[in-house]
Amino acid sequence: MAILECKGLSKRFGSVQALDNVNLTIEPGRVVGLLGPNGSGKTTLLKLCNGLLTPSAGEILIAGAKPGPETKAVVSYLPDKPYLADWMNVGQLMDFFADFYGDFDRERALDMLAHLNINEQQSIKQMSKGTREKVQLILVMSRKAGLYLLDEPIGGVDPATRDYILDTIIRNYNPAAAVVISTHLIADVEQVLDEVVFIRNGQIMLQSPVDAIREDKGMSVDQYFREVFKC
Amino acid sequence: MEWKFRSDLPIYSQLVEQISLGIVSGEFPPGAKLPSVRDLAMEAGVNPNTMQRALQELEREGLVYTQRTAGRFVTEQIGVIQGARRTIARQSARIFLDDMKKLGYGREEILSLLEEEKEENHGDSGV
Amino acid sequence: MLGKLLKHEFRATGRTMLPVLGVLTALVVLANLVVRFGDQIISRYRLAAVLFALIVAAAVFGVIAAEVMAIVVMVQRFYKNLLGDEGYLMHTLPVSVHGLIWSKLIVSLVWIFATNLVIFLLGTLSVVNLGDLSVGQIMTGFPSAEEIREAMAKLGITRMDLWLLILEAILIVLCSGLITCLHFYAAMSLGHMFTQNKILMSIVFFVGINFLFSAMGGILGTVSIQFNADRFFMESSTVLDGLRQLRMMMNSMLGYSLVQGLILYIATALGLQKGLNLA
Repeated sequence: MAILECKGLSKRFGSVQALDNVNLTIEPGRVVGLLGPNGSGKTTLLKLCNGLLTPSAGEILIAGAKPGPETKAVVSYLPDKPYLADWMNVGQLMDFFADFYGDFDRERALDMLAHLNINEQQSIKQMSKGTREKVQLILVMSRKAGLYLLDEPIGGVDPATRDYILDTIIRNYNPAAAVVISTHLIADVEQVLDEVVFIRNGQIMLQSPVDAIREDKGMSVDQYFREVFKC
Repeated sequence: MEWKFRSDLPIYSQLVEQISLGIVSGEFPPGAKLPSVRDLAMEAGVNPNTMQRALQELEREGLVYTQRTAGRFVTEQIGVIQGARRTIARQSARIFLDDMKKLGYGREEILSLLEEEKEENHGDSGV
Repeated sequence: MLGKLLKHEFRATGRTMLPVLGVLTALVVLANLVVRFGDQIISRYRLAAVLFALIVAAAVFGVIAAEVMAIVVMVQRFYKNLLGDEGYLMHTLPVSVHGLIWSKLIVSLVWIFATNLVIFLLGTLSVVNLGDLSVGQIMTGFPSAEEIREAMAKLGITRMDLWLLILEAILIVLCSGLITCLHFYAAMSLGHMFTQNKILMSIVFFVGINFLFSAMGGILGTVSIQFNADRFFMESSTVLDGLRQLRMMMNSMLGYSLVQGLILYIATALGLQKGLNLA
């Protein structure tokens, strides 16, 4: 069964059509790039999948169920902005995640934190922007979720951090889980993706395996993207 | 092993190429156990499914084999490795010859060029 | 899950409210001591009067500040934790919207009542001059259980009546607390459905709800008095009649509060569930 399925999904904000009849199926075991320029609807789509927005039309199914407390238990979401309470320290945040998410693996988190020399006593307030982003990613990736929805995980981070993030995604790869990475920095993520979904003006333009694009077009997904989205 | 990818070819076929080269050059010696798919994927910075596909292709070519519980190993059949070595060498030769042809070099010219180069690089090329 | 939400909520709000209550207690105790023993000291050191006046003023200010803080924490917690960036985490927890609202409601009520309790207890103590009374004397100041029972029997009040009265009084206080919180929650929850001017819209909703409920209360009050005029303005010849009238009034107040609470709760939940629109 597909881990994520969108059927005729649309979302309007007043007069703005943010998503327009999106049909999308994502199978377990896939690492999928959700690629589109800024404002194309990537974040809206991920918010809808997380129940942070309600569709104007159509439906979303996560492992067969509509977004709700049950689906939230299997979805691990990284928003595109800092969202952790800044008074909490890393230890408290791990307690919090362990309390609410049955699939949170503290060992995994501790391992990654140690690797980055992040102390449990450190509060979010005391951290640099980059470190905060790493802590968020560590918490999100330390869950043994069925679906990871990562919104711009590599936007605005330095190359070393970007490599670390992509490494983390590969290291935690689980054939039973799917990972969706939304980004506009395609060249950086292309190698870790199975599939890409191109989105423009709220519409899905293409869903294809990465190597199929390279094979058919004789160019990288990044180059192909630039061609498709040429202004 | 250093991994480099070109943008105009599928990633999996480049992985096949580079691992073959690793086996032929002795970086993965005959009979050696290969790292797990995940470790290899991490090392190369690629998707584990793509790495898996590449290894399956190498298996099909006979360069590696799977032992059900123990993992993946480089073949011990030297003949197969030699065959792969030859295939890679021929590919390189073909690319070289194509380039020379574009430059307008004829057979004689190419041979004398190779002789010249061989003498110049005698010390370090080992050819 | 509600238990876990409550635990986290207490942890988050306790950071502010425990120190507030601590300072409040210290200030009120200090002011108490000043009121009690200040005269003796002032008679010897005149200047102490200035210090004591300041302490009493600080205590009064502290009482107001603590009340305000309890409300500010209640509002700010809902706003920041559910409608700000932290909402990305809270709304993706495997919990229902109801769990989120109730955890906030319960914890806010606890802090609001705790603040009032501290003020009430310490205020009462400052009136009773403990220096002159022993504990035994305080107790004899009140009628004994036996005396109460006798008085009730004489008036024809059953034990049930008394308990119901007490229960209703508690419920009314609880409901008014709930409505205060939910009024803010509903206004913010509805105001944040808009993409722009979220705070402005929240204020508009707050005022709007206020207006709606005043109008509703006025109409309902008028109507119910019209229909029950004879019973309402009946001369209360006995204490029992008086009690009945009091209970009738309390019941209608309670009923009206519950209706208000329900409307506000549904508005809050719908706003969060269907209209969530995190920036």
